[in-house]
Order: sequence, then C-alpha cells, then structure tokens
Amino acid sequence: MEIYLPIAEMSVQWIVILGMGLGVGFLSGLFGVGGGFLLTPLLVFYGIPSGVAVATTLSHITASSISGAVTQWKKRAIDFKMAGVMLAGGLVGTGVGVWLFAIMRRAGQMDLVVSLTYVPMLGIIGGIMLRESLRTLRARRSGNAPARIHPVNHVWIHGLPLKARFRQSRLYISVIPPIVIGFLVGAMSAIMGVGGGFIIIPAMIYLLRMPTNVVIGTSLVQIIGVAIVTTLLQATSNYAVDIVLAAILVVGGVVGAQFGVRAGAKLRGEQIRFLLALLVLAVALRLLWGLVVTPADFYSIGGS
Amino acid sequence: MRRAVLLAFLFLASPAAAEQLVSGVSQDLIQITSTYKGSDIVVFGAIEGQEPGEPRTRRDIVVVVRGPESDITVRRRDRVAGVWINHDAAKLSGMPAYYFLASSRPLKDIAPQNALTHYSIGLQNLQPDTVHSHHDYEPFRQAALRHLTKDKLYTETGGVEFLSETLFRAHVPVPAGVARGQYKVEVYLFRDGEVQSAQSTPLFIDQTGLERRLYNFAHNQPFGYGLAAVAMAVIMGWISSLLFRRPT
Repeated sequence: MEIYLPIAEMSVQWIVILGMGLGVGFLSGLFGVGGGFLLTPLLVFYGIPSGVAVATTLSHITASSISGAVTQWKKRAIDFKMAGVMLAGGLVGTGVGVWLFAIMRRAGQMDLVVSLTYVPMLGIIGGIMLRESLRTLRARRSGNAPARIHPVNHVWIHGLPLKARFRQSRLYISVIPPIVIGFLVGAMSAIMGVGGGFIIIPAMIYLLRMPTNVVIGTSLVQIIGVAIVTTLLQATSNYAVDIVLAAILVVGGVVGAQFGVRAGAKLRGEQIRFLLALLVLAVALRLLWGLVVTPADFYSIGGS
Repeated sequence: MRRAVLLAFLFLASPAAAEQLVSGVSQDLIQITSTYKGSDIVVFGAIEGQEPGEPRTRRDIVVVVRGPESDITVRRRDRVAGVWINHDAAKLSGMPAYYFLASSRPLKDIAPQNALTHYSIGLQNLQPDTVHSHHDYEPFRQAALRHLTKDKLYTETGGVEFLSETLFRAHVPVPAGVARGQYKVEVYLFRDGEVQSAQSTPLFIDQTGLERRLYNFAHNQPFGYGLAAVAMAVIMGWISSLLFRRPT
C-alpha cells in the first residue's frame, strides 16, 4: 500500500505514516503536547527529507492540537488571555526562527544545533518533572496529603513591570515571562518542527505557577497559533509542506489525540507528569547517543 | 556538454563504420502517479551489418541511463570536543541524479580506462563539473557514490543479455525515489576497446494527475497552498472533536 508524496518526491507506505500519526496523536492528547519532538525524528528516520518533515509535522500539530483544544474549551480549561500574550511573543519568535533555520541549513549544522539545544533542555526539564512527580506519587502512596508543588520563590518574576490579571489562571503577574516563553517556543517551532508543548507546559506549571487544569488547554491554543503561522512561512519560503503527507498524519493524529485525551482523564496529574518526564528523558538520551557515538559512516549527503 | 558533442560526432561518423547499432526503449515517458512504486524499462537493440562468422566476443554493449544533473552536497563528521559534528563539506555540481549502467562484460575488459573516462562510463568515471571544497574532494565523491548506490539511484551491473548473436536487451529498474526531469538512455557498441557506434534517446520522468497539480500549486501559489494545508488541518481537527464527542 504505497502512496507517492508530491513534495517529498518519494513513495511511502501510507499505513506506516498513519500509524506514526496515530501514536504521536495519542501522546499529544494524553500530555497536551504537540508531539512534534517525536514525529519529526520519526519521519526523518523513515526517510522523509528533513526540511519536509519539519514543515509538514506542523500540520499534524495544528490538527491534533485543535482536536484537543476543543475538548479543553468545553471544559472551560483555557486561559485565552494568557494564550494571546504568549502568542504575541511566539509570532516574533517564529520570524526569528525561520531566519535562523535558513542560516543553519546553509552551514549544514542543523542536526548539531538541534541536538545540542535539545539534550540539556530536555534533560533538565525531564529531570525536574521526574523528581517532582515521583515525590508526589510517593507522598500519595504513604497516605499523606499530596504535597503542593514546592513553591520556588521567583521573586524576580514578581518584581517585573507590566502586571496583568489572568482571571482563568487566577494569577496576577507581569506579561514579560509569558512573552519570553512564547518567543522561545515560536523560534524552536520554526527551527525544529516542534510545537514546543514540552517546554511550555513545564514552564507554565513551574515558572508561571498556572493551575494544572488550565495549562494543557492554554498551551494548545498557543501551539495552534504558532503552528499555523509557521506552516504558512514554510510553505511560502521553503515550499516544504507536503499536503498528502500532512493529510495522512492528520487523520492518524486526530483519532489518536481523542483516545489520548480520554486516557488522560483516567490518570492523575502527577502520573501524567511522571510518564511525560520519562518520555522527555528518553528523547534526550537518544539525541545524546547520536552526538557521542562514533557514526557508522562519517559522510552524509545533504540538500544543497 | 562535452559528452553531447562526442555523441553527435559519433552519430555523424557511424555511417562509415561497418557495424551499426539500432536500439530502442520500451517507454519514453514514465508518469509518476499516486501509486507509483518504481518501474522497469527495457532497453533493447540489435547490431546490424555484422560480418558473418565473426567471433562475438569482440563486440560489447554498454547501456547507460543518466538522470538530470544535480548538485550533491556531501558532509563529513569529525569529532570536536567529544561530539560528532558536520565539519567539512564538498559540493559536487553536475553529477547525475540517477545513473544506471549495464554492460555485457566487466568494463575493464571492454575498453581501456581513457575511453571509459572519455564517455564517463562506469561509476568510478563519473566526475563532477565543478567542486566547491577546501580539500581533496575524492573521498567526498566516493561517499556520494556509496550513498547513491545504497539508495539504488546509482547502479552498475552486468545485465546486458544477448538474445542472439546480434539482439540484446537490458532491464533498467527505475526506483520510486527518482528525480523528475529529462533522462538520457545511451547505448554504446564497443569493438576492440573503441566505440564503434552509439545512440542516445531521451526519457522523460514526470509527475502526472493530482500529484502534478499539487506540486504546481505549491510552487506557483505557495501562500494559497499553505492556507489550504492549514485549513485542512484545522477542519480535520475540529471534525474529529465533534465525531469523538465524549459521552460524559
């Protein structure tokens, strides 16, 4: 069952692609992350040119995020004001990211930059989440009331100007941290074809101290905005969006996401955070492996 | 370019030769559709004007199919501070995107090295027109040959069959990952290490139908195409959330 992709200019087994979309969609519904950080490497591993993989993954992220966001919206678990503020930073970040993307592609250092930034970032985030979720799990098992997430005193965050009230998140904080987080995530999404949920969610929980129930819906809205704009930029500047590949991924993704959301409803917050931490650490280890292990072939063929 | 001039010259020169080559290709157009998963073309032909009773072993056929010229960038990884990074690169311009060679005997038995180099017959005799590199590009060229051979885009086999004293045939596999564009099917008749006669036939590989339209859409109206991709994702995501409305 092969199908020819007009932009990637190659034939693929569509059932394999559908399976990838389904699996990653499930995780995305479960954790509220776009899943791009898994899907892009999977597609590249399958043999899709990395430019096409980065650009096309964004369609999958858009669709599965919308699917999840509608569900969250019905539960009134979205802070639209927070999402809007982050998106403002995100769009600027996207522009910067597309520019950096072009520079790194020319220098042939795409893989290196991706790995070098991913490994410490994923390692730190995964490590913090793993420790925190394990502590909460243990506390619950021993019968104690689950400890609140230990408040780190971010005095500097509260000292920043431009404070605004985020009713849905029950927060009164400066808009600067959400804009900066949005900017970083927007840049990443253009460079690596990831939505950035795995950065946004921990940042919202641990830095901004948003309640866990609003975090997933709000990050989905921010991710949708960034993914749509990045798709348009990639389509116009790199001609790299493959709509046939996108359609297959999207069908798998949206179905998987629905099952993911349902599975997520059966789990407690700390259990979800524990599983997400393991996933994030696994990806970090995989990338680290690629950096330090002697390659089988020292030469590789890249695009022009 | 040099090759084309040589071929033209051979065409003009060949009527004088005693033996003539007549060849054909089973297809002159390969259309890539949504279910395309590679195909096979057959190159066939005959040697005409052969003197009777002459031993066959002195004549050889080489079939070469070349894809459109492309730029190939090869990068080498080196260890820097414990981490493997792409360090050096070479850009080889004017290498064919696809190269298939079938011969009736091993190339080294057919013709001397300078003749093979002249017509760029054989993978080892494929040279880029221009090279952008700070170093000796030979290891980079070898790496390109190795990778493209692994992807079945470069092939060198002994697959020319003689059906009789004069009739020959070769199967040319065209894998799914080939580039679109104009290909050239070249058939060479060697005798005593020299090209006696040669023919070149164009072969076109192109997308067709929906694939063609999507490709054109993406390149001619990229913004509209991007919007279409976004709209598709948004609508499918939204529909799925309606279809899978949770029972609670």
